Amino acid sequence: MINQTVTTLFHLDVLAALMMALVSFLGVCVASFAYRYMKGDSQYISFFIQLILLIASILVMVSADHLLLLFSAWCMSNILLVRLMVHKSNWKAAQASGKLATKNYLLGGGCVAGAFMIFYGLSGETSIQALLRQDNSSSFMLLALILLLIGAMTQSAIYPFHRWLTSSLNSPTPASAIMHAGLVNGGGFLLARFAPLYLKHSHLLTVIFVVGIITALVGSLWKLLQNDVKRMLACSTMGQMGFMLAQCGLGLFPAAVAHLVWHGMFKAYLFLASGSSAQEKRFDLAYPPAPLTFICALICAAAGSFTFGFSSDNSWLSGNSTLVIMVVAFLAAAQFSLPILRSKNLRHFLFALITTGMMGLIYGGSVRLMTESMEPMHFMQPQPLNGFYIAGIIVMSLAWLSILFIRNSSKTAEPPIWMLKNYVAALNASQPHPNTVTAHRNHYRYL
Amino acid sequence: MQTILLAQQEKNSKPILNNLAAINIPPLVKGSFNIIAPFWPLKNLIAVNPLQGLEDMPIEEALKTGSAYFQQRELPKNMETVNRQTIKWLQVYFDQGQATLAMPLRRAGLYAAWRKLAIYDVKLHDNDDQKKKWLKLLPNTAEQAIVECLLNLDIGHEDREIFLKLLLTSLPGWSSYIKYRTEWAGLDFADQHPVTQADYLAIRLIITSLLWPEAKALLEWHKKAQAETKINPLEQIQKTENNYRLALLEKLSAQPLQALHTPEAQWVFCIDVRSEPFRRALEAAGDYQTFGFAGFFGLPVQITDSITGESYASCPVLLSPKHDVKESLCTHEGYEQDRKGYQRLINLKRLYQSLKYTFTTPFALVESLGIISGACLGLRTLAPSVAAKIKLTLMGMLRKPMDVKPSLDGIMFAEQCVYAEGALRMIGLTHHFAPLVVLCGHGSTTQNNAYATGLDCGACGGRHGAPNARILAAILNCLEVRKQLIKKGIHIPKNTHFIAALHNTTTDEVTLYNHQESADIEKLKKSLEKAKVTNSLVRLHQMQKSTTAAKAASYTRLRSQDWAQVRPEWGLARNAAFIVAPRDLTASLNLEGRCFLHSYDHAADPETKFLTTILTAPMIVAQWINAQYLFSTLDNVAYGSGSKITQNITGKIGIMQGNASDLMTGLPLQSVYSSDTEVYHELQRLMTVVYAPRKMLDPIISSQPILQKLFRNGWVQLACIEPENRTTYLLNRDLTWKNTD
Repeated sequence: MINQTVTTLFHLDVLAALMMALVSFLGVCVASFAYRYMKGDSQYISFFIQLILLIASILVMVSADHLLLLFSAWCMSNILLVRLMVHKSNWKAAQASGKLATKNYLLGGGCVAGAFMIFYGLSGETSIQALLRQDNSSSFMLLALILLLIGAMTQSAIYPFHRWLTSSLNSPTPASAIMHAGLVNGGGFLLARFAPLYLKHSHLLTVIFVVGIITALVGSLWKLLQNDVKRMLACSTMGQMGFMLAQCGLGLFPAAVAHLVWHGMFKAYLFLASGSSAQEKRFDLAYPPAPLTFICALICAAAGSFTFGFSSDNSWLSGNSTLVIMVVAFLAAAQFSLPILRSKNLRHFLFALITTGMMGLIYGGSVRLMTESMEPMHFMQPQPLNGFYIAGIIVMSLAWLSILFIRNSSKTAEPPIWMLKNYVAALNASQPHPNTVTAHRNHYRYL
Repeated sequence: MQTILLAQQEKNSKPILNNLAAINIPPLVKGSFNIIAPFWPLKNLIAVNPLQGLEDMPIEEALKTGSAYFQQRELPKNMETVNRQTIKWLQVYFDQGQATLAMPLRRAGLYAAWRKLAIYDVKLHDNDDQKKKWLKLLPNTAEQAIVECLLNLDIGHEDREIFLKLLLTSLPGWSSYIKYRTEWAGLDFADQHPVTQADYLAIRLIITSLLWPEAKALLEWHKKAQAETKINPLEQIQKTENNYRLALLEKLSAQPLQALHTPEAQWVFCIDVRSEPFRRALEAAGDYQTFGFAGFFGLPVQITDSITGESYASCPVLLSPKHDVKESLCTHEGYEQDRKGYQRLINLKRLYQSLKYTFTTPFALVESLGIISGACLGLRTLAPSVAAKIKLTLMGMLRKPMDVKPSLDGIMFAEQCVYAEGALRMIGLTHHFAPLVVLCGHGSTTQNNAYATGLDCGACGGRHGAPNARILAAILNCLEVRKQLIKKGIHIPKNTHFIAALHNTTTDEVTLYNHQESADIEKLKKSLEKAKVTNSLVRLHQMQKSTTAAKAASYTRLRSQDWAQVRPEWGLARNAAFIVAPRDLTASLNLEGRCFLHSYDHAADPETKFLTTILTAPMIVAQWINAQYLFSTLDNVAYGSGSKITQNITGKIGIMQGNASDLMTGLPLQSVYSSDTEVYHELQRLMTVVYAPRKMLDPIISSQPILQKLFRNGWVQLACIEPENRTTYLLNRDLTWKNTD
């Protein structure tokens, strides 16, 4: 009886297992970190209770098969996250961050609830797996998927639902770590969970790709502008989530999940290490590179993308949406070889060629590791190339080139007016919500 | 408002010029900045009295004035809007390498650069054509802009300075950073992004004119704040002080002087309060004599690393460095090897940064580094000591740590002799030299700690003290210098050798530099090991961790390796007194790490030259430290920087709370509180105890205005132990002496 209830409520597949492994690992690390980091805090015990409940509710969420259970866990984890965010509850700015996040989650929760109700109405099923097996192409289904997409976007801080995330840094560092490594992944998880339905709507996939790429660009640009470490990390998360969504939009759901997992580890580490950002010294990268260096970098990139393709089982000639992934690997390989090529001689060129090739192998391998393990899910379905995908490739490449070649430099002459205008506009757009800024020092509270 | 703005602008320049003549801007600017104390950036945090600008007042009055300016719970709403925009622009202008796309035009200076960008800032002009026009037509100089804004805001002549003060104190942390940049930074920022005090005030005024034209109301608000009566915290402080002070004086005056003898080794430590318990533990481990001296060993030097080419001032911030000393590796092969190692390290970091700080490639970076960062995350959190070992091994492979030695070319021979003699005389080490004299600087080792440099040697400008110790050891080991010293009456025996060392205050490990292994050294090392265990036990007890001697050292080491540790050591918390006396007076007392100890022999200082220096230099540093701990404890929001758990480092220079806030100056909560509600530091002002006759002290006080200021106004309490009859006296606020009996 109990067994039966469990099987109707939960569904353990590779996706659930991966997410559970990620969340448990991060949970243990963050809790152990906070155990020392938060010592002496007046809310010490309640912080831990909430943290443990939060991790438990995420575990339920990722393994749930019942629509209502998934929805409840979704809401529960968001409520708990807000509580962790407003840890210093007498601090007005922290309260404002909580309010902003709550509004966002209410919208998201409403959309998800709407989507689930339509699912139920159309299929009469409460089990997600049963739902996924059904064939239903009514326009209500499309509406449900759009609502679900909006829910995912609010959770993953996708433009224009990003502001709660970039205004959330009044939270204690461990709460930020679990938020950026765990909770924002909720959107990506939701899309992956319902991937079979999205894969039947290729137009919707294109939409997902477009919002993803826009967020990726905006988040990356803002990240490069920020002057404080935590907001820089928050904007970076936003960009990474955008890229993850774009991967979903390419029909490459396993790649998106891989991105979630690796990004989660990376970002949790950076948040917990944010206390040492003052010691990090930035080195001059000697931009723009000389033409010959740049050409050598492109040759290395070709090698790197080739080895990447080899180990990740992708190719330049597939003629489908995996081309985007190949281009990203190509750009990364070029960027990787540039610092090695700084001193221009043949020996360095060979060295760069070989190391770039090796890095391509490793990178491809790490992607393959994830995608292979998700093979049984059958949601790796590259889409045929279309104009939007090509546009995405062009935009990402141009943005990369712009940093190399036209990055403003205080050393040279005065930058053109359009650059100044855009600098100020982007700076203003990336500011946190005014109420979440502690504009009067004595409004800050630690009790 | 726009009409006023434009009316001012469109009037021909004559009235403005007249007004410009009427308002003398430079003294106004300077005068308003008087109330602000400097804030040193994170790369070398220096303790400062946040009420430094009010030290001319009696402390009772300063506390009241300080409360009216800095401790107001509320601020007019409109001023908050002004603050938000000010913070935004200061964050981008003063960024020292966080942003990849930095604010353009910064080389032109704060006002000049900002002016060109502000015209595009919708948050300032709100797309209002007239405001835009006003911004475009702003005067060329900051001073002119200040005049124009003061007129716009209709601030009366007599209110001008106080109004400017209020603009500064309503965002005190950032003002403090500007005070540092304009008055204390010295050569540090010479050619980068210039700023003047007028620049900042001009921007502050312009933003205020745009966002709150009725800002004159701030004056009324301040008057109300002044009228408020607050509980005087001094009463409680005085109670604690009285109990502590009289007992200490009584104990000190009862200690006899010991007969002279030559110990096995002599050790010179920094006056830092953390040296005291360690010295006691070390003295118990063998026949040793210890001395206390400012940790920069009297050398006003700037240290340059021959590999990285970086240099910094390694002396108290009150001094400016006179000599540039290069530190390089002992051998040429060593140099080459180290240079290559450094290059390898940089190349790796450059590789990482190149992928991270651009478009598109960070997506690939996280996918390829995810697994490695996961491993680091797990190791550093769950097994910090293993992580530290792995890091050490890896770093050793990339760049092996090697002994360095200073080159004395930058200090002329005659000056070397002067420094050598001065150092020895100042602490009274002029006879009975032991075969080994260890000059021991200090520094800390912590992980993931924005306040790391705050735990280092303040006398070395917030750095590790080893380079200065190495320089003085090299000077004193030089035979030519010793020959000159003999002429001055200081005879250092041939077999006496000076060794430089570093005391790690987080782990209590002491590293000896450039020494040959010998039986004597072995013995020293054993004693150091013993002292480490003894002191670790004591310190762990203070951190509420009871353990056994066998485990003590590994626990303190763990605290220095753990990236989640917010209280790696207690730093200078609970500091209370500055004792200028021979060690004999303190050697058999347990002073609980609460006292700065400066060795001094009044008999060897007939002209009171050294005592004057001690009271006007090291004592001032001690007073700054004491005041910082005092005020950070008294109000950790207004004068301290709040809890570490929500801090956010901005521009690599300072701390903000959360999304954005004022620059949080002062110490974090975790440095002075053992929990959110329990105070660890004891609220006490500094008491300076001098073992010397009053007739030596009186002329010093009457010739040094800074001492009169501190003693008269109650910032520091001076006490004197008469060597002749051991009676103890306290200096009254009217500078007369009072017998304590």
